[in-house]
Amino acid sequence: MAPSREEIADIVRKSVGRIKRNREITLETELFGADLAMDSLETAELSAILEDEFGSDPYSEGELPVTVGEIVDFFVDRV
Amino acid sequence: MQTVRSGGPDYPRPVVSDPIAGEPLEYLPEQHYDRVTASWRFLLGEDLHYGVFAHGDEELPAATQALTDLMIESGAFAPGLDVLDVGCGTGAPACHLVDRLGVNVLGITTSSAGVELATARAESRGLSASARFERRDGTDNGLGDASFDRAWVLESSHLMRERDRLVAECARVLRPGGRMVLCDLTLQRDLPFMEVRRLRHEFSLLRAVFGDAHMMPLSHYATLAADFGLDVVSEIDLTEATLPTFDRWRANADRNRDDVIALVGERYLDDFVKAADVLEGFWRDGTLGYGLLAAERA
Repeated sequence: MAPSREEIADIVRKSVGRIKRNREITLETELFGADLAMDSLETAELSAILEDEFGSDPYSEGELPVTVGEIVDFFVDRV
Repeated sequence: MQTVRSGGPDYPRPVVSDPIAGEPLEYLPEQHYDRVTASWRFLLGEDLHYGVFAHGDEELPAATQALTDLMIESGAFAPGLDVLDVGCGTGAPACHLVDRLGVNVLGITTSSAGVELATARAESRGLSASARFERRDGTDNGLGDASFDRAWVLESSHLMRERDRLVAECARVLRPGGRMVLCDLTLQRDLPFMEVRRLRHEFSLLRAVFGDAHMMPLSHYATLAADFGLDVVSEIDLTEATLPTFDRWRANADRNRDDVIALVGERYLDDFVKAADVLEGFWRDGTLGYGLLAAERA
């Protein structure tokens, strides 16, 4: 049974939380802007974590989600 | 904060793929420097920065002094000048400038440990009247406009993400005719995302050992300087000249092993040696390097 959007969102939020600790992370949280200001290495780490969780990740496929919600959308579309 | 226990003090270690360390950690330069500054004097030498090797067989102290001398030469220093040392470390260059050149230096750093060590160094050398140290952020220093003749940025810029604000602040505090002189690690080629991802363990190791560094091309510093009203006087690529530094660091790690382990633990020491290997590889394959820039306020 495919995971629900809520389950995917929970995994993505936890994955981002492994990179940026002690931050409130919502679907609207901006990854590269003022919210989290992730750099290229942190993005690479997130990319690897997402691949471990889902078997693929948007950044390795050339997409560039800029909010947590956009990452969730990427996986919802594929599950 | 997760820590990894080893033969000495705890050492937080953010390597995402490491099965022992587990979770990545977010790095704050201030905390990083407070923790490792004491050990770096054993590993990097008293000056806490790279060396410039004219022949390759010099001792590290002579080579680090050569880098300081090159910065002095590029900065066209003269007695009596007011100098802002941005990212002053433990105050060795600042004390050297005061002692040798007769300038007045305000050293700033985000590390409270750095301020204490630098202040103690100046006091021990009788230089307190001309070498002061304060805890301030180089990207928002809070100092007055046109209040310095020189801005000295020795190997600290790579730890400041807002590089534009660093250069803007240096330009702002310089008097007309004042000069910013900066040296640091540089990015020598474009790094596509998938290559960063492939090399993430190496970069994570560097971050764990040296802090949250962000390198950029020397030409980018020159562009920023021009953007903020500074005329570039010189750009020098020191990649080849700094390469022997890593060999000297490894020798220091071997020589001072017990002292370093007592301060930061065996794991940090081992990671430091690996990080020196990684850096040397990046130097040799044209990924990273070292450069110096001098720019003058019109």
